[in-house]
Amino acid sequence: MNLIEVKNANKKYNNSVVLNDINIDVKKGEVLVIIGPSGSGKSTFLRCINNLESLDCGDVYINGEKVNFKNNNSKSVTNVGMVFQNFNLFPHMTALQNVMAAPVIVKKEKKEEVKERAINLLEKVGLKDKINCYPSKLSGGQKQRVAIARALAMNPDIILFDEPTSALDPELVGEVLNVIKELAKEGMTMIVVTHEMGFAREIADRVIFMEDGKILEEDIPEIIFSRPKHLRIKQFLQKVI
Amino acid sequence: MDFSIINRTLPILLKGSLMTIELTVFTIVLGSILGISVGLLKLSKNKVIYFISSLYTWMFRGTPLLLQLFFFYYGLPNLGLNLSPMNAAILGLSLNCGAYMAEIVRGGILSIDKGQFEAAKALGFNYIQTMLKIILPQTYRRLIPPIGNQFISMLKDTSLVSSIAMVELMRSAQQMYATTFKPIEIFFVTGCIYLLMTTVFTAFFSVLEKRLSIYE
Ligand SMILES: Nc1ncnc2c1ncn2[C@@H]1O[C@H](COP(=O)(O)OP(=O)(O)OP(=O)(O)O)[C@@H](O)[C@H]1O
Ligand SMILES: [Mg+2]
Repeated sequence: MNLIEVKNANKKYNNSVVLNDINIDVKKGEVLVIIGPSGSGKSTFLRCINNLESLDCGDVYINGEKVNFKNNNSKSVTNVGMVFQNFNLFPHMTALQNVMAAPVIVKKEKKEEVKERAINLLEKVGLKDKINCYPSKLSGGQKQRVAIARALAMNPDIILFDEPTSALDPELVGEVLNVIKELAKEGMTMIVVTHEMGFAREIADRVIFMEDGKILEEDIPEIIFSRPKHLRIKQFLQKVI
Repeated sequence: MDFSIINRTLPILLKGSLMTIELTVFTIVLGSILGISVGLLKLSKNKVIYFISSLYTWMFRGTPLLLQLFFFYYGLPNLGLNLSPMNAAILGLSLNCGAYMAEIVRGGILSIDKGQFEAAKALGFNYIQTMLKIILPQTYRRLIPPIGNQFISMLKDTSLVSSIAMVELMRSAQQMYATTFKPIEIFFVTGCIYLLMTTVFTAFFSVLEKRLSIYE
């Protein structure tokens, strides 16, 4: 069974179509990378999967269960983690508290158990020595790694990454990409929006090229990056690489 | 200056200031609860809730506190509701303070980055959890200076309840003046007591502000 199924996703923002009949399936353990020019609707699509935005029509199924509703305040989806371009760490909490917050507050798990898990996660992303630092004392790359640990702490079935390295100084990109690669190796299901084409090619099982709210082409990375059917994609890749 | 007058009237003025402190504490507690609630309601997408909460802040910020106090103390009995001076004072002061607090709280919440709401939602937080654990704690430090100002002017505004038969510091001062006819001494000492109280308040809030800036 597909872990995620998106059927006929459509969305408009004041008369301009942002998502135009998108259909996507993601299998468990699969890494789907979405590329495409700015404004093509990549972020909007990700945000519709975990209900940060609501679709005008179409459905999102996670583990076969419908998760999207018209009123997008109605339900939060706890088995989908999200990592944002701007980290969005909670500034009033230390790294450890950031990671512990959702399991303790949302899932009502025992603090001691969560703490142990949170420390392990922070160790896994290479931040064992920073657990008691506030975000203001961390570099961008460190912040993003805390954000990844924070998403992992909820034991999500899938993690959505929206340009996780776009806000980082070039020398900090690698450390974040390495953590994501590690997760891919462990079999985490992920949808990754990125402009890092080398990284995309390396981790993707499948790549989607989006343009004007539509999927222009969908294929394995070798094809998309080496011999895409559309000239448009070749031009795009020449520009970004 | 006649120091013997000060000696004689000081105990009475101090007693009056106890009432001033009591009124201030009541007002701050009730006004804060009211202000936080209304501040959140004013952010509601529900038009009716928004309208009612805005009507409240509009009325209480747009009319003089003295008028509000008169209305509660002299006006409500005509509607069959008799309030003691203390109750009328606390009601008027709290409603007034709440209206100002609501605007402060609302502004504080609006100043928080949208990404914080999104991160909380993506992690499964519901609205109340998001507000209590993520958003409001981030507003505290930013809100301390305006709230401190609000509380200090609240403390001074309690003097207005002297006009609805409440015996607090201002009223005690008027009474002492009426019996001694020594305005300089009486009002000077009264001013010193107010200054002492507002200074303690200011100091408290600046310590609080420092405490809360640990994460910045
Ligand atoms: N809240 C909004 N209100 C109105 N229009 C919006 C809103 N959010 C996005 N849009 C529009 O929707 C389109 C798609 O935006 P989206 O952020 O999904 O693109 P993107 O592919 O993620 O681009 P980028 O690579 O720049 O992040 C854009 O034209 C954008 O202007
Ligand atoms: Mg985007």
